[in-house]
Amino acid sequence: MARRGSWKLSTILLFALLQALSYSSLFAAIAVPALTGRVNDYAGMISAPVKADLEAKLKAFETAESTQIVILTVPSLKGDPIEDFSIKVAEAWKIGQKGKDNGVLLIVSKDDHKVRIEVGYGLEGKLTDLMAGRIVRDEIVPAFKAGQFDQGFTNGVSAIIATAHGEYKGKPKTEGNGDNPSMSLLLIIFAVIYVIYQIFRRFFWGGLGGGFFGGGGGGSSNDDNFSGGGGSFGGGGSSGDW
Amino acid sequence: MKMKASIAKIIAFFLFFSTLSGCGYNSIQQNEEAVNRSWGDLESQLQRRSDLIPNLVATVKGAANFEKETLTAVIDARSKASGIQLTPAMLSDPAAMAKFREAQGNISSTLSRLLVTVERYPELKANQNFRDLQNQLEGTENRISVARQRYNASVETFNFSIRQFPNSLTNSLMLKLKPKEYFKADAAAKTVPGVKF
Repeated sequence: MARRGSWKLSTILLFALLQALSYSSLFAAIAVPALTGRVNDYAGMISAPVKADLEAKLKAFETAESTQIVILTVPSLKGDPIEDFSIKVAEAWKIGQKGKDNGVLLIVSKDDHKVRIEVGYGLEGKLTDLMAGRIVRDEIVPAFKAGQFDQGFTNGVSAIIATAHGEYKGKPKTEGNGDNPSMSLLLIIFAVIYVIYQIFRRFFWGGLGGGFFGGGGGGSSNDDNFSGGGGSFGGGGSSGDW
Repeated sequence: MKMKASIAKIIAFFLFFSTLSGCGYNSIQQNEEAVNRSWGDLESQLQRRSDLIPNLVATVKGAANFEKETLTAVIDARSKASGIQLTPAMLSDPAAMAKFREAQGNISSTLSRLLVTVERYPELKANQNFRDLQNQLEGTENRISVARQRYNASVETFNFSIRQFPNSLTNSLMLKLKPKEYFKADAAAKTVPGVKF
């Protein structure tokens, strides 16, 4: 009996080990970092005053035109091509408004000396591959080559805003994290179940109204929590290196 | 007695329709539509690349002494590929898909050979026109790569949905849909051509 038990245990351990090994390949590529705001300077390339200035500019642009521009710097791509990483980040962060797809991701890898502007579907009309390429080549790379990262980012952002200007005018996202339809549906289902439960417990209606509908979208403007608006990307844009 | 029979009929009626959705009849159709849509996206990106080639050829021709064979290879690959169309109905046909993929792979390899050869012509490399075209081509190649990944993902979803039980029964008895082919990157396109100096 004891032998059979230990055989089972070793099989389980072996299986678990194989499972763990199969996941090891996932660690070779770089993971999508967390979205912390409009400027995500994980590589520490931008000085604090410039960062604040860029955040303000980008926020103002979004308020005026609903277009979302986000900056990401990483220390290293860990072997991933910048295009692969960039589209992964863009799809995960969902920058730009849902339906309009007006998002732009400016991504820089410090050690690899690579920069890319990833353009959402909706902006490809104005911010074409051509324009993105020119911005990278003429506005960002020269400053980066001279070691002036602040200048490069400032130039790049101004150029992107100028190019995308006027493409979208519309209601920007002012409410917290926007409407999440599946969440409200879930709440409705729970409400229905709750009501039926109450009916079966001999018509106790007292507790129904109170406190059940706790959370669900606030109405207040939630400026501290920047999040993507659900926009999608098709792989347009341009890369460069310095 | 009569009531029981009609109630039984009503229950059977509802059971039938609930199992219909449970058996994946609708979800299979939905998945097939997703495949067709992502195929349409991929096709339009491939077409976009094809449209850029005449411009590229014209710009490169202007450069002095540019080698003819590299240019003609691209032009030939493009005209051959434009003759091979793949409609959504043919997405299950492995032979048709192989032909289409090969033609597109040909364009990829002749194009990359052309772009590598340009490295030898500094005036051409510095030419603004050429640089713009190169930008557009790179952007298009990236879009093709993204569209291909999304197409393959939708094919995976569809193929799985017709094979898993009980949807597989629905498929074999009612819909009779065949699994779709993946659009794999052509092996030849992956090898970077060497430049002989």
